[in-house]
Amino acid sequence: MVRRVRPARVALNTGAVLFCAVWMFPVYWMVNTALKPTGDTLSPTPKFLPFPMSLANFADAVRKPHFADYLVNSVIVTGVVVTLSVVVAFLAATALTRFRFFGRRGFLIGIMVIQMIPGPALLIPLFLSMKSLNMLDTLIGLIVTYSAFVLPLTIWVMRGFLHGVPVELEEAAMVDGASRFTVIRKVLLPLVMPGIIAASVFSFIVAWNDYIYAYVMMKDQSRYTLPVWLASFSTNIGTDYGGLIAGSTLFALPIVVFFMLIQRRLVVGMTAGAVKG
Amino acid sequence: METLAARATVVPEAAAPRARRRRSALPYVLLAPAALVLALVIGYPLVRLVLISFQDYGLRALFSGRTRWTGFANYTAVLHGDEIVPMLVRTALVCVAMAGGTLVIGTGVALAMRALGRRMRTLVTFCLIAAWAVPNVAATMLWTWLFQPTYGVVNWLLRLGQYDWTAHTVSALLLVWLLVVWQSVPFVALTLYAGLSQIPGDYYEAAALDGAGYWTRFRVITVPFLRPILLLVTVLSVIWDFNVFNQIWLLTGGGPDGGTTTLVVWSFRRAFASQSYGQGAAIAVLATALLTALTSYYVRRLVRAGEAW
Repeated sequence: MVRRVRPARVALNTGAVLFCAVWMFPVYWMVNTALKPTGDTLSPTPKFLPFPMSLANFADAVRKPHFADYLVNSVIVTGVVVTLSVVVAFLAATALTRFRFFGRRGFLIGIMVIQMIPGPALLIPLFLSMKSLNMLDTLIGLIVTYSAFVLPLTIWVMRGFLHGVPVELEEAAMVDGASRFTVIRKVLLPLVMPGIIAASVFSFIVAWNDYIYAYVMMKDQSRYTLPVWLASFSTNIGTDYGGLIAGSTLFALPIVVFFMLIQRRLVVGMTAGAVKG
Repeated sequence: METLAARATVVPEAAAPRARRRRSALPYVLLAPAALVLALVIGYPLVRLVLISFQDYGLRALFSGRTRWTGFANYTAVLHGDEIVPMLVRTALVCVAMAGGTLVIGTGVALAMRALGRRMRTLVTFCLIAAWAVPNVAATMLWTWLFQPTYGVVNWLLRLGQYDWTAHTVSALLLVWLLVVWQSVPFVALTLYAGLSQIPGDYYEAAALDGAGYWTRFRVITVPFLRPILLLVTVLSVIWDFNVFNQIWLLTGGGPDGGTTTLVVWSFRRAFASQSYGQGAAIAVLATALLTALTSYYVRRLVRAGEAW
């Protein structure tokens, strides 16, 4: 449409390149800093290329005390939250799409309203409850908290996908003598796989990225998750920026790679839910 | 609470004849685990939040477990202090500036992506996803490094000497604003672009044949098509930006001199730094009420759209 007007096209492309440069700059600077040798990080004139390249900053970050604990904590919490929320949401979504029952509409409105509640608002009562239950400093406390936070959306997404699967398909399988369990496993599950992936991505991000709840609930240093560890970098002994940025890079890497891989699905899943409900 | 994207525009389902009407306990059994977790971890704390806001809940209560009812004392303390008015104004301004900036840039990028060639578009998408994927805390730590007074690359690029961004209210707010907008634009741009690409091309062709220029086509086709998605991302942006905590807390700690303290940060400080959980809870209740009032129009619309469930 714009092709006829050349100056407009040039302006558009220039604008796009400029935008990319600005938006990409922080990420580029993160990788650039992380890969520099330790001495080059703190130079009055910044070096724009990480040569000579060095992994010293990464080694520095990984060798910080308890790093292995934090990694394990984060992996356990994230893994359990993803599994738990997907299973629980799948069961709930099956109930919501395959049955009509009293309270169904109320439940749907309920999970929508829950999403309007600001996350930080629940921090105080949750902290106090976990304290009186002696569940501060336990991974279980965090796991339960994150699972509850992701459930409304995961249920909603799964419900959307389950809706797309015609009931006739299951009925046909039942007529053919398949048990209800077989129907769920062999017919339903493969068809809603995209929904399961979308829900897991979402739960993964929430559990992996959360800072404030872990910060408040985990007082024992060895119980920190990776985000709390990253934020505590600066208070230890001044700030070791090389290590901090290398640590941030390591922490961000799995998600960035993952986002790139599922890029297409990410946007489709997001909007498929948005438009089709 | 990351995305509510899925809730967008709920298309009423045609009376759902697909669902079974037989009465059985099975749906309740399937729903039980989810309902239990939600009731325990969200329902109960929500009730408790309101209760605590009417109690004198300080350090002593924390250790003895004994609390005293104080009526509206917490609310009075919060609402009658000198802080409340600047706090509300600041929270509103910060929220509007962040959401506004995100929406304007995000919409611009989405529209530009539509007009760009395939290769340029891929490049823009790549940059957006890279920025989007960086976890909150990692991005915030990166920001402290980019804007570090002595060795930060931004001060060097802008020839600002050893300027300390967190030492002045305006630059501290700008610092937080830049971070939040940088992180939020990708979601808005990609969601809007996905919406744009669902508009059938014939519409534009037909309009062009009728002699409609770019702006007319934009006004008559693009805007109405985009309106529901635009409404969704607007409400989401307002909710998220109202609740921004990590970025402020880790970049400025609410300073300098309370200059970047919003309601959410204030509630946190009162509760966890001043050990006055009652007042913190009162602020959280007020913040939630305020946010609910702001978004109630949208919630009502959603619930109405859900009449046919």
